Amino acid sequence: MSAAGYKFEKSQRSLFERLFEPPEIGKMSPVAKIVAYAILTFWSLFVLFPLYWVLITAFKNGKIVNEGPYYIPFVDFQPTLEGWRNQFTADPYCDFYAIGRQLLLYVYNAAAFIISPVVTVQPMEPQICKVWLAFTNSVVINIFATALCMIVGCMAAYALARIQYKPKFGNILMFVALSVGAIIASYFIHWAIASSVALALFFLLARALGKHFKNLLGNGDILFWIISQRILPPIVVIIPIYMMFQAVGLLDTHLALIIAYAVANLPIVVWLMHDFFASLPIELEESAQLDGATRFGIFWDIVLPLTRPGFAATTLLVLILNWNEYLLAVFLALAKSQTMPFMVAAKNAGERGILWWEMCAIILVMIVPVIIMAIFLQRFIAKGVLLGAVKG
Amino acid sequence: MSKLPGVPVKFDKVQKSFGAVRVLEEFDLDVKPGEFLVLLGASGSGKTTALRILSGLETATEGRVLIGDRDVTNILPKYRDISMVFQSYALYPHKTVGENIGFPLKVRKVPAAEMDAAIKEAAGQVQLGELLHRYPRELSGGQRQRVALARAIIRRPSVFLMDEPLSNLDAKLRGHMRAELKHMQEDFGITTIYVTHDQIEAMTLAHRVAILEKGVLQQLATPAEIYNNPNNLFVAQFIGSPPMNIIHGSLENGGFKSDDVNIKVPVKGQATKAVLGVRPEDCAVTTAGKGEIKGEIFTNELIGDHTLVTVKTRSAMLTVKAAKDYGGKSGENIGISTAKGSLYVFNGEGGARIR
Repeated sequence: MSAAGYKFEKSQRSLFERLFEPPEIGKMSPVAKIVAYAILTFWSLFVLFPLYWVLITAFKNGKIVNEGPYYIPFVDFQPTLEGWRNQFTADPYCDFYAIGRQLLLYVYNAAAFIISPVVTVQPMEPQICKVWLAFTNSVVINIFATALCMIVGCMAAYALARIQYKPKFGNILMFVALSVGAIIASYFIHWAIASSVALALFFLLARALGKHFKNLLGNGDILFWIISQRILPPIVVIIPIYMMFQAVGLLDTHLALIIAYAVANLPIVVWLMHDFFASLPIELEESAQLDGATRFGIFWDIVLPLTRPGFAATTLLVLILNWNEYLLAVFLALAKSQTMPFMVAAKNAGERGILWWEMCAIILVMIVPVIIMAIFLQRFIAKGVLLGAVKG
Repeated sequence: MSKLPGVPVKFDKVQKSFGAVRVLEEFDLDVKPGEFLVLLGASGSGKTTALRILSGLETATEGRVLIGDRDVTNILPKYRDISMVFQSYALYPHKTVGENIGFPLKVRKVPAAEMDAAIKEAAGQVQLGELLHRYPRELSGGQRQRVALARAIIRRPSVFLMDEPLSNLDAKLRGHMRAELKHMQEDFGITTIYVTHDQIEAMTLAHRVAILEKGVLQQLATPAEIYNNPNNLFVAQFIGSPPMNIIHGSLENGGFKSDDVNIKVPVKGQATKAVLGVRPEDCAVTTAGKGEIKGEIFTNELIGDHTLVTVKTRSAMLTVKAAKDYGGKSGENIGISTAKGSLYVFNGEGGARIR
């Protein structure tokens, strides 16, 4: 075959080939380039416009919003700080130190609670406006809930990735039966007594009868059971959850939301981290084991640093899910432990109609921490930490 | 490191099954103090399983494992006083070379000053002194291998375990590291158990070689003994490069017979099915009509210091080692003569040696 058959020179190629084929290795064809950039531009506008709209609406007032739509500040309309003034400066407790005061209050009141059996100390009264209270609550609840969720979830995921469990089907059925029994019994006796007795009974029976059950399940079944908790929409289980927290007297406390958020996100953490842990070369852990490290030492010193990108990504995901969570907050947090999403939604329900400009001001305040977290955690994501672990 | 008194290792009727699959059967092995013992076998022969049972990463289904006079069968790995070099090196990628080497001491909470001195000494022994602050990803394959070695020797264990430590290196480096390993082991006098599928590593490194196949120990002997006096057909074919020539036939009255070979062999006994073995290096090419076996040249391969001549006979393909200037042409008729005392006869059923 002659060299001409290969169309080495560009001039030999047809117009179709010139338009649809990459001119060189590593470049895009002209058509693909135009299509790709058109889609990206469209998508960017699609994503960025709502953010822009929130930004400018936060500097409008009722009159401008109702006359609108106006798109460009200083040209279409004169920006105003009305949306901010009403919420952030009208209240005398909305000063610069409000959040610090509130955090101090939490520490002080927690200490007062701990020493209350010995000395009675009057708890501090909150001196903070509604927006900053919700912001502080959001931050505190989010940090503790995410930390709890990541600690429990990572340990569960690691165990499921490295230890083979063989739960017995009979024992699980027994546990379910005893749980139902405890719920029925709690209509007649205190729930704490009923559940303790049921739990004790379960351990005794599991020891006594366990060896007769032959049907074994595996780690895959456990993982599926964990993720199955996310199959039902949360609204279905919100009433039972409300009643449970009511029974233990935790409604409208930070602890209630911390527990609820941690549990709600546990399946996500377990599933994501399980995959990251399972993909680590097991020789590293075996080597550390021979070198004398304990199981927890291996987890802390070898496994976690090596899964740092995945860990950071999962943490970020959980933080954002918690930060935006609304349904649980609406049911479990009535006043003292209100969070930011609740504040946003509350602007929808006033006597004066929807206060878009005040809502957008709160949304802007809500976005800032997410951006800071994303920038902070992004450094750990997508880094080739495993390079050089095994082989070349 | 000063020379330590070695510690013996003993496998006592160890069995291992994964589900229904038996990977190790009635495995008995005595390793002498300070010995360099190589477990040699193809993949799936159970050699790595044996090593992992000794290390504690697997547990024996039955039987006992002893290090010194301690029964370690069910002891946690970290209490066995062993260290292991993995095929993949298993370096911690987020730790520097120094931190990698010092890790076994760090987890044992050795004081920092003492640890630093030990790291420097261990790194010096493997010529890594300059690289302590680098990360594993910045090292070449050979350097990574040395880090793994230094991490293994820093603790001065009673027993060294090595799981194909050289198989990821290129051929030239492998030869170099082999010599260094042997020197180091002689220096330290630590009992070493080394797993490999490479017979050259086994022959060059070992004091004794244990050959495994399908979970069964085939022969345990010095390299010379294994080469000169193989126990069975498997060992005979496994050791030697190129492998031993074999011809199928029968044995009667001190003579081996096949379709085209009739040769006197120095063994007694009879077998309707027998296998004759002769190593390529014990064969010589002669002119047609001479020698015990006749055939025609199939191909010639010049290796460098010798030529490998593949000869097609009526019943087999045989390899003969000839001089480097051997000039036979393909298709030429020749004869093959064998050196005195170089013929091995094996039972055709089961492959046991007939002596």
